[in-house]
Amino acid sequence: MSDVHYAPLPVSTKSHKDSETDKYHTFVNLALCLAAITGVELVLVYLPFNATFIFTVLLTLSLFKFVAVIAWFMHLLYDKLLLTLAFGTGMAIATGTFVALGSLISRSNVDLDAITAF
Amino acid sequence: MSQTETATPAPKTSHAHQLHVLKPERSRLGLMRPDHSKSVFIDWLTTVDHKKIGIMYGAIALFFLFIGGIEALIIRTQLIVPENNLISAERYNQLFTMHGTTMIFLAVMPLNSAFFNFLIPLQIGARDVAFPRINALSLWSFVAGALVINFGWLLEALQMMGLFAASGPTAGMTDLAPSGGWFGYAPLSSKEYSGVGTDFWIMGLQILGVASLTASMNFIVTILNMRAPGMKMMRMPVFTWMSLVVAFLIIFAFPAITIALGQLMFDRTFGTNFFNVAGGGQPILWQHLFWIFGHPEVYILVLPAMGIISEVLPTFSKKPLFGYSIVIFSGAVIGFLGFAVWSHHMFTTGLGKVATAAFSLLTMAIAVPTGVKIFNWVGTIWGGRIRFTAPMIFSLGFVWMFMMGGFSGIMHAAAPADAQQQDSYFVIAHFHYVIMGGIFLALVSGIYYWVPKVFGKMWTGSLSTWVAVLIVVGLNVTFFPMHFLGLLGMPRRTHTYLEGFGWSTYNLVCTIGSYILAIGILLLLVDLIRCLRSGEPAGDDPWDARTLEWATTSPPQVYNFAKTPIIPARDALWSHKHGPEGKKITYEDDHGHGIHMPSNSWMPLIASIGFVPLGLGMTLKQAGVPYMGSLAIFGLFVITLGLALWAIEGPGGFHLHPEEDEA
Amino acid sequence: MSDTATAHHDDGHLSLNNDNKKLLMWLFLGSDCMFFGTLISTHLIYRKIYPESFDPTSLFSLELTSFSTFILLMSSFLMALAVSAMHKGELKSFRRNVLGVIFFGLIFLGCQVYEFAHFVHEGLTLSTNTFGSTFYMMTGTHGVHVAIGVFWLICMYFYSHTGKMDAHESAVDVEIAGLYWHFVDIVWIVIFTAVYLIEFI
Ligand code: HEM
Ligand SMILES: [Cu+2]
Repeated sequence: MSDVHYAPLPVSTKSHKDSETDKYHTFVNLALCLAAITGVELVLVYLPFNATFIFTVLLTLSLFKFVAVIAWFMHLLYDKLLLTLAFGTGMAIATGTFVALGSLISRSNVDLDAITAF
Repeated sequence: MSQTETATPAPKTSHAHQLHVLKPERSRLGLMRPDHSKSVFIDWLTTVDHKKIGIMYGAIALFFLFIGGIEALIIRTQLIVPENNLISAERYNQLFTMHGTTMIFLAVMPLNSAFFNFLIPLQIGARDVAFPRINALSLWSFVAGALVINFGWLLEALQMMGLFAASGPTAGMTDLAPSGGWFGYAPLSSKEYSGVGTDFWIMGLQILGVASLTASMNFIVTILNMRAPGMKMMRMPVFTWMSLVVAFLIIFAFPAITIALGQLMFDRTFGTNFFNVAGGGQPILWQHLFWIFGHPEVYILVLPAMGIISEVLPTFSKKPLFGYSIVIFSGAVIGFLGFAVWSHHMFTTGLGKVATAAFSLLTMAIAVPTGVKIFNWVGTIWGGRIRFTAPMIFSLGFVWMFMMGGFSGIMHAAAPADAQQQDSYFVIAHFHYVIMGGIFLALVSGIYYWVPKVFGKMWTGSLSTWVAVLIVVGLNVTFFPMHFLGLLGMPRRTHTYLEGFGWSTYNLVCTIGSYILAIGILLLLVDLIRCLRSGEPAGDDPWDARTLEWATTSPPQVYNFAKTPIIPARDALWSHKHGPEGKKITYEDDHGHGIHMPSNSWMPLIASIGFVPLGLGMTLKQAGVPYMGSLAIFGLFVITLGLALWAIEGPGGFHLHPEEDEA
Repeated sequence: MSDTATAHHDDGHLSLNNDNKKLLMWLFLGSDCMFFGTLISTHLIYRKIYPESFDPTSLFSLELTSFSTFILLMSSFLMALAVSAMHKGELKSFRRNVLGVIFFGLIFLGCQVYEFAHFVHEGLTLSTNTFGSTFYMMTGTHGVHVAIGVFWLICMYFYSHTGKMDAHESAVDVEIAGLYWHFVDIVWIVIFTAVYLIEFI
C-alpha cells in the first residue's frame, strides 16, 4: 500500500508561482478593461447615434466581455481543449437553436384580438 | 469454450489485513459509513457500485414496462369495437398520457441506463464510473420522479371511493392523473383545462430530468477520462460510443424541457403568462420548446439500441463491425442534426414556407446517416458465419423492423404528405415501429446477450424463439394496420369511433395483435426468471465475444478487473484470443498497491428521498390539500441536508487486494 | 496533508479526480447555456412580437444595473485571484478574496431585491403581462444561481478554517466553484446587454 507508483502533483514549485504572478497581471488588466467597457456601454446607449450602429457596438462589446471572462478568468485558454469543446458545443447548440427559434416565431402568427392583457 | 485467462480471482477475505480494510471506516463527518457486509438490503440501498445500480435500473424499468403495457392493453381493449364504453373518455386520456410517459421515461430510458451503468465501465476497463455517489443519486432520484408522476393514480383511486376531491386552485377538476398527452401541449395543460394530474406530470418530469442530467454528465466524464490505458477513443466499443453521444444529447436537450416545464408550472401556480393566451402567451412556444427537447429525445432512446446492435451483430457473424468509424461518425451526425429538425413535429401549425422547406430537407437529411448505419449492419452480417442465437435473432429483427419505421419517418418528412398524416394513426404506426420494432427488440437482444455476464447464468431451452416469434408477429399485427387506419383518417387519441367509418376491422386486428405482443413479453419475463433460477453457469465468455467486458468473470467481481487491463486493439478480447503476439490484453502491475474502492453512502439516497415530499408538496398544494407548502419546504430541506452531509462526508474508500493470497 | 486517511485513499487517482471534477463542471456549464438560452430567448421572443405591450425604459434604472454589473464583474476578478491564491497555497489571501466575492455577491443580490421590489411597487408583477413573466423568471433564475454561488463560497470560507484545506487537495474544488461563479457572471453580461441596454437604444 505505498504511493511509490504515483508521482505527487507539483504543488508550489517555483515555475508554478511565476505563472500565477503572470496571471495576476493579466487579471488586473482584464478587470480594468471590463469595468471600462461597462462604462462605455452605459454612455453609448444615450448617445444620438444610429440605432443599428449602437446595437452592433453593444453586441461586439458584450461578446468581447463574454469571451474574455471565459478565456482568462475561467482559464479556458490555459486548459485542455476538451473543456473548450464541451462548453463550446453547448454554447453553439444553444445559440443556433435560439436564433432559429427567434426567427420562427413572428408577430404575424399572433392573434392580437385574443389578448386581453394589453 | 474460451481460452481467455481472466485477471479476476476472487478476493480473499480471510486475510487479516483484508478484513481490517473491509470494515466500514469513519467518514469525515465522524459517522460510520453504512456497513455493506451486514445486510444485503442496506448494501443495495447504499451501494455506489455501477453494476448493482445498473441491475436496479433494469429491474425497475421492467416493472414499469409491465405497468405501461397494462395501460396499453386497456387502451386497445377500449378500441376493440366501435362505440365501446369500457372506460370513460377522461380515463382514456389518462391512460394514453401515462402509457406514453411511462414507456419513454420510466421504461426505455432507464432500461438504456441499466445497460450504460452495467456495461460502460466494463467496456472501457474502468473500476467504476467517475462519480459513484452521483450515480447512486441518479438512480434514486429517478425512483422519486417515477413515484411522483404515478402518484395521481392513488388520488384517482381515492376519488373513486369518494375519499378525495380536489379543492384550492384546481377545485372542481376531476382529472387527478396526468391527461394532457406525453407532450402536454399548452393550453390543454393549463389550469383552465386540466387538473392536478398535470402538476404531477410536471414535477415528476422535472425530477426525472435531474436524474438524467446528473447521470449523463457522470457518464461523459467516465467515458472521456476513465478509459484503461490503450483504450483510445477509436478503440472503444460502439455501444460506449453511442452512449457518449446520447449523454451529450441529454445534457443539451433536457434544459429546454426543464425550462418549459418550469414556465408551465409558473403559469399554473403563479398565474404567469408564458402560455396563457389572454395574457399574450403563445401556446406555440410550448410546442417549440417541447420538440427542441422532444426530437433529440427520440435519438436519446434509439442510439443506445443502435449501439447494442453494433455489438451483437459482429459477435454472431464472427466478423468485425463493417465500417466501424463510419458507424460512429454517423451516430455523431445523427446526434448533431437531431437538434435541427424539431419543427417537423409542427408542420401543420403553419411555420411558413421557408421554415417548412428547411425542416423538411433537414429531416430527410437525418435519414441519411440512419440509412448508412443500416447498410453497415447488413455489411457486417454479409458473408459472416452467422449463429442464430437468441440475441442475434432479436438484432436481425431490429434491423428489419426499424427500417420500416424509418420508411414511414421519411414519408412524414415531406411536409405536404405529413399534413395528411399528422395526428393520425399513421404517426402512431411510425413511432411504434421505431420504438417497439426498433428500440424494444434491440433492448431484448441486449438482455439475451448480457444477462449471462450480469448474473453468470446461461439461458436454457428454446423459449426465446417463441418470444421472438410472438413479439415480431404481435407487433406487426398490432402496428401495421395502423398505417391504413391513419390514411383512412382515424385521428390518434380517440376514445371511440362510429360504426361505418371502415375502421372497425383494422382496430379489431390491432387489438388482437396487442394481446399476442403481450403474451410474447410475458414469456420473455418467464424466460428471464427461468434463466436466473436454473440457468447453467455461463462462464466468462459464453458467446465467443469481442469486447472487453467479456474478459472479466461472470458475474464480474465488485472491482471489475483485478489489475488494470492494457488495451492492444479495437475488439480487444477478440484480438486477445485470436490476434498475434503483441496484440494480447496485458495487465498493469499495481506494485501491491491494491484496488481503491469507493465506500457505500447513505447520502445519495437521503438527498433523493427529499424529492418526494418536494414534488408531492408542490403538486398537492394545487389540489388544496393543507400544509403541502410546508411539506415542499421540508423536501427541499432534506435535499439540502443530504447534499451538505454528502460534501462533508467525503468520498472515502478502501483498498482490496484480490491477489494477496497468491503471494 | 492534514487528513492522511482520506488523502491516502485518493492517492494516485488524485490528478485524474481533478480532471474529472473540472470536466464535470464544464459540462454542467455547457448544459446551463441551454437553460439560460431558453429563458433569454423566451424573453426576447415576447419582446419581439409585442414591442408595444410594455415600455421598460420607464422602469429600468440603467445606473443601478450598470452598478450591479460592475459589482459582479469585480467579484469575478476577486474570484480569479482567490483561485490563483489557492493554487499557490496562500490560504490567507484566498480567504480575503473569497470574502470579497461573497460581499460583492450579496451586494448584487441586494440590488436585485431592491429592483424587484421597486418594479412590483410600480405595478409590474409576474402576472401583469408577458414581460413581467419572462423578466422575473429569467433574472430570478439568475439570482438563484448567484445565491447558490454565495452559499457555496460561504461554505468554502468556513471550511478553510477547519484546517482541512490545502493547495494539494482543495485547489480544484475552489477552481470549480470559481468556474461556476464566472459563468454566472457571463450570463449576466448577456442579460445586461440583451435585456437592459437594448431597450434604451
Ligand atoms: C429516419 C428517421 C426518422 C424520420 C425521418 C422521422 C420523422 C418523423 C416525423 C416527420 C414525425 C412527425 C410526424 C407527425 O407528427 O406528423 C415523427 C414523429 C415521431 N417520431 Fe420519427 N422519424 C425518424 C425516426 C424516428 C426514431 C428513430 C424514433 C424513436 C426512437 C422516432 C420517434 C418518433 C415519435 C415518438 C414521433 C411522434 C411524436 C408524437 O407526435 O407523439 N422517429 N417522426
Ligand atoms: Cu422528430
